Amino acid sequence: MQVKKECVAMLLAGGQGTRLGALTRKVAKPAVPFGGKYRIIDFTLSNTINSDIDTIGVLTQYQPFDLNQYIGNGQPWDLDRLEGGAFVLPPYQKAKSGEWYKGTANAIYQNIDFVDRYSADYVLILSGDHIYKMDYNKMLQYHIAKGADCTIAVQNVPIEEASRFGIMNTDSDDKIFEFEEKPKHPKSTKASMGIYIFTWAKLKKYLIEDELNKASHNDFGKNIIPNMLNAGEQMYTYDFKGYWKDVGTISSLWEANMDILDNDSGINLSDSDWKIYARNTAEPPHFVGSGAKISNAVVSEGCVVQGEVVNSIISRGATIEKGAIINDSIVMPNAVVKAGATVNHSIIGWNAIIESDAKVGSYQEKAIAGEWQIAVVGPNVTVASGEVVKAGAMLEEDN
Amino acid sequence: MNKKMMAILFASGNESKLNELTLHRTTASLPFAGRYRLIDFALSNFVNSGVTRIGIITRNNYSSLMDHIRMGRDWDLNRKNSGIAVFPPFGLNTSRDVYKGKIEALYTVLDFLEKAPEDYVCVSNSNIASNIELDAILEEHIARGADLTMLCHKANVTSSKRVIITKNEQDVVTDICQVEIPSTEEKLVSLNIYIVRKDLLVSWVEQAYARGYVDFEKDILFREVENGKIYAKEITTYAAIVDDVKTYYNQSMKVLNDDVRTELFETGRKVYTKVKDSVPTIYGNKASVSNSLIADGCVINGTVENSILFRDVRIEEGAVVKNSIIMEHGVVMKGGQIGYTITDKSVVIGANRQISGSEDYPIVIVKNKKV
Repeated sequence: MQVKKECVAMLLAGGQGTRLGALTRKVAKPAVPFGGKYRIIDFTLSNTINSDIDTIGVLTQYQPFDLNQYIGNGQPWDLDRLEGGAFVLPPYQKAKSGEWYKGTANAIYQNIDFVDRYSADYVLILSGDHIYKMDYNKMLQYHIAKGADCTIAVQNVPIEEASRFGIMNTDSDDKIFEFEEKPKHPKSTKASMGIYIFTWAKLKKYLIEDELNKASHNDFGKNIIPNMLNAGEQMYTYDFKGYWKDVGTISSLWEANMDILDNDSGINLSDSDWKIYARNTAEPPHFVGSGAKISNAVVSEGCVVQGEVVNSIISRGATIEKGAIINDSIVMPNAVVKAGATVNHSIIGWNAIIESDAKVGSYQEKAIAGEWQIAVVGPNVTVASGEVVKAGAMLEEDN
Repeated sequence: MNKKMMAILFASGNESKLNELTLHRTTASLPFAGRYRLIDFALSNFVNSGVTRIGIITRNNYSSLMDHIRMGRDWDLNRKNSGIAVFPPFGLNTSRDVYKGKIEALYTVLDFLEKAPEDYVCVSNSNIASNIELDAILEEHIARGADLTMLCHKANVTSSKRVIITKNEQDVVTDICQVEIPSTEEKLVSLNIYIVRKDLLVSWVEQAYARGYVDFEKDILFREVENGKIYAKEITTYAAIVDDVKTYYNQSMKVLNDDVRTELFETGRKVYTKVKDSVPTIYGNKASVSNSLIADGCVINGTVENSILFRDVRIEEGAVVKNSIIMEHGVVMKGGQIGYTITDKSVVIGANRQISGSEDYPIVIVKNKKV
């Protein structure tokens, strides 16, 4: 018999993340590097342990090797536990059936036994592609106090942007009476963050019913939530006010990285009470050469900077040679930018090489949020000497 | 992987010559090169050479060391079999004080040595920063049929007590002497890292202890030289022996050299240390940094030249740091200026304060001090 856990977290990390293009060709979206030394998934994993939830299933499906290896036994997040801890849960063959995860709800359905094993009262559903710091335990206490069957974390978004989100319409007590996916004429500004807490017995019932419906997409947003709402279950929104960003597109991934450089963005990674943990790669401190110029930038361990870096994120192990200029860009782990190369408004993938005098991206004065023309040099790609990569272009590895 | 060799590491030594820097710690836990402690280099060399049974002998002020090492997980040394064994000061019933020298210290861990299945031991001080392939040296040691191999390097004996080796063309050690007087001449200096057959070490220590000997080098190695089976192995890459403030400063500054960093860090044999989950370093609009080694977690908005910043250091706008070493959690406030200064952990240099030592005599500011 396993030790009982009041709440088990289930992290949906199986999505392909097609909108990130070259960056997610070989790794799952949650494994994409972020902020110099992190991966996107570090935020949800760190939030989980910082919220005193020590049992988490990570549901993987698309390109799982890198993510599996990264999570390992969960030790970097203090999730290597005698009872509970971090578990990578890929789809598996069962006695009567065996299939891929068909949708977000189906992924949980296929792991009902995992949650049951810990006799959990509540299940926290998370996605691995958001950057934010949130105390899930506060949300859980809210869920319990409300006597809710389902609690959905929401953020207030500007009304003009509301039609890009799943919008929750609630009464004055935050009780949800209507859910609209990307409404043309939004009635509220409460956007779902894709973070749910369910009372497990209730969710289990709906998962089993949903599975029997062959026409269903087996999706939380499309099926489970509307079904529960129609049946009159107790569903509440939970207001979250801190920094939160979905990094599902190149432009939003770039923006979220740049938010680290903006003291007013609210992302604040330096909060010692809410550390973001990452797997460490044992690199020496970074070295800044004699001719280097670094201003308004993040530089991580193992880097060697001899050139000019402005408004940029230089990730661990990257090399910026003498005379290279990096502006408003993200250079991912172990990438090399050689002498005389210029990089503007770009993302340089891990292990990519920008040969000397190449020109990647172009400077942009200003853009509407989400619509930056970011040039992307995919992981392991080499940009030849003198080559020009246009703004908004995406270079990929051949195979 | 070799299961042939175990290790004994001495965590203490020369604390008196490091003055303020070792008031609160052993030499082994002295911060070095931005994010390490000296012992990290020895531990990483062991792990990278497949040596996983490591006894650490401590004498004093070892709580910072225990805190650093914990269960050894950061070096992958939290093993079911083998791993790290820390030996706190152990007073034998027959003597009132803790051990006086290496012979007595080794005598107290004979049991640990004898019970271990390994046939060879690496006996090492922990004040050496170097990236050494011990497994290859062990193979050479075995092939030569050596009793003991002394690791050494060519260096100027500029300070402190050093063991000088003379060897013949076959690398057999022909003489050992201890030098107290500095000279500018380049000599073959012992790194105080030895590889030795275990059964031999045990019998040497038993016999020496019985005769009341104290000094491992003088009372054992010097006597064994005449048997012609003590070999010298020269390390030609960067190797720093840190045993006083001046060598600490000079050897630290050498790490700013590209070749030295390559020899220490780019060998494919990583140097591990305690993971602290600091955020990457953030540079502000007013930052101006050159020729410096910067660890994670710093916030820099001033000028930093020819310096080493450890983790979580803050350099405020208008502050100027030159030729200095600032350890963890140090702060130089607005307009503060320091040169040729070593600030220990959590030192705060107040706004507009100016402190300057010289290259020969860097100023040391003790832990937690607010200037």
